[in-house]
Amino acid sequence: MRYADRLGLVLALPLIAGFALPFAGLRPNRIAAPVAEWLPHIFGWPAAAGVALVAVAALARSPLRLPLAALAVAGWLALLGLGASRLAEDAPAYARVSPGAGFWLGLVALVLLLADALARRKPAPVARLALLAATVAVLALVLRLWPDVSVLQEYAARRASFWAEAQRHVALALGSFAAAVVAGVPLGIAIQRTPRLHLPVMNVLTAIQTVPSIALFGLLILPLGWVAANVPGARAAGIGGIGMAPALVALFLYALLPIVTNTVAGLRAVPPSVSEAARGMGLAPRQRLLRVDMPLALPVILTGARIVLVQNIGLATIGALIGAGGFGTFVFQGLGQTAPDLILLGALPTVALAFAAQVIFDALIDLLPGRRP
Amino acid sequence: MIGLHNLSKHYDDLRAVDDVSLSIETGSVVAIVGTSGSGKSTLLRLVNRLIEPTAGHVTLNGQDTRDMPAFELRRRIGYVIQDHGLFPHWTVARNIATVPRLLGWPKDKIRARVEELLRLLSLDPATIGPRFPHQLSGGQMQRVGVARALAARPELLLMDEPFGALDPVLRGKAQADLRAIQQTLGSTILLVTHDMAEAIRLSDRVAVMRAGRVEQFGTPAEILSRPATAFVRDLVGEGERAFRFLSLIPATDLAEEGAASGQPLPRTATASEALDALIWQNAEALPLEGGGRISRAALLRAGHP
Repeated sequence: MRYADRLGLVLALPLIAGFALPFAGLRPNRIAAPVAEWLPHIFGWPAAAGVALVAVAALARSPLRLPLAALAVAGWLALLGLGASRLAEDAPAYARVSPGAGFWLGLVALVLLLADALARRKPAPVARLALLAATVAVLALVLRLWPDVSVLQEYAARRASFWAEAQRHVALALGSFAAAVVAGVPLGIAIQRTPRLHLPVMNVLTAIQTVPSIALFGLLILPLGWVAANVPGARAAGIGGIGMAPALVALFLYALLPIVTNTVAGLRAVPPSVSEAARGMGLAPRQRLLRVDMPLALPVILTGARIVLVQNIGLATIGALIGAGGFGTFVFQGLGQTAPDLILLGALPTVALAFAAQVIFDALIDLLPGRRP
Repeated sequence: MIGLHNLSKHYDDLRAVDDVSLSIETGSVVAIVGTSGSGKSTLLRLVNRLIEPTAGHVTLNGQDTRDMPAFELRRRIGYVIQDHGLFPHWTVARNIATVPRLLGWPKDKIRARVEELLRLLSLDPATIGPRFPHQLSGGQMQRVGVARALAARPELLLMDEPFGALDPVLRGKAQADLRAIQQTLGSTILLVTHDMAEAIRLSDRVAVMRAGRVEQFGTPAEILSRPATAFVRDLVGEGERAFRFLSLIPATDLAEEGAASGQPLPRTATASEALDALIWQNAEALPLEGGGRISRAALLRAGHP
């Protein structure tokens, strides 16, 4: 057992599957059924054996696991791009090469390995941010090798609208997030100070949380439609029963509960002796809130904010249903056209965005001063 | 001079503090002793208006404390609590600087004051100042709490069980240090404790509280020798009365002419320490540093009122 640990053994299975299952699929056109292609078939046996060697070396427990896993992940992604170009050479113009089950399983195994190796090193917050930036840079390089991979072909066909939808997606998620923080934190403070408000406000927020998102959109069409029709200037400002406005409002409403709950929890967790000392030292109520209570509650509040941001980045996909745009546009178009590559074009950036938001937020929380290591 | 005038705090039927009047001379230490629930902490918190009294008032050097905003009053009164209450997100130096910053002192003056206080409490400014509270030992946290309370040269220092969280060895040291600092700075201190020995050791006057009222207010010697009520007598306890009494007397007060053999006693020793040394060395008399001696007979004579 010296050279293997439980994680390496467990991940060996999906990695073997990565070689045993089709690595890519070649389809005559973008919605046809794929013809399976295996890794050795695409690159030849010696090359495939070389790849397998690196992957297996990364599985073994050694100080080299981190660099090997990073190399393996980048290499695995690059292989798909190179393989797609090879397959596309001999294929007709409308043919598509998309990732197969083997690619995905192998990728999952290698990414988990990399994540575990990283987590074991317990990198400092700034190092984590640097790693995130490095990851983005490496991804950008690797994706240059992907011009013949189906997802990137869908991207190439929609380059302009992709970035426009990306902007709308970020605007939806960040806008509703910012509004929820601006409204939720003061609401949390107010509730904490006035226990009478606590139960009613929490009940309302919890009730909102239980309404399914599509139903909430439906519920918002009427009031926002009325506002658009009757309030002068509202329509010009983009407010209406469908579009950005109801999506923003819905995301905002969903985001309130975690923000308010965590604000209250954070303020409650301020040690009584610290509050007592702050009063006894002669800090005025406002100073106590801003200099002592809020800074001490901040980590908990930020944890809530992180949940909200990640949740909103995912939920914003739904906004496409009512014409708010965002990456959901591609997901729903892809569903309508039974074009899985188009679904991926919407889903993958959403996942990446949520992941990046989480890493950034966690690092920010750890960067706050005076926290126990 | 701090005056507590007919202070009362009632919660419905409970008289937590009931018509208490005390005066604290400038530069003296007054200890409030009582069992838990006696109202001693409430009384302390009435002074800096963390609790507003039902009746009565407090004067701070002649000024009625009701005439100023509570937070302004508190900046003139130091406050030390049992759990330190250090701000965990601030460094030690920033913690100590709390009140001077609130008062808007210039930066250099604050920095100098923080350094001065850290030195006074035998903490190294260079190493301890930049640390965060969770990086300190219990004894260091306690001292930082005291330094923070002293920072803006308060007119009065309130201490609520300031040594309650320390182990017995550290507590003894902290008590001695506080007494030394108080004598150096001439601070006026109102201290709450449940430990009669601590009160006797530290204070110039002791107020014994029970059920919201002061049962006796007197010097430690008076409390020991003439307890006013059965409750005070119980609190003082039957054991070690003589030793406590001797601990109030400086050994130099009992010095007589002449010489003696044995290890000399330091001039700062109390009579009880002198007796302890005498018994331990099985001597009739011991020399005092710098001349004179202390005899067993003199100590035994002094050991009762």
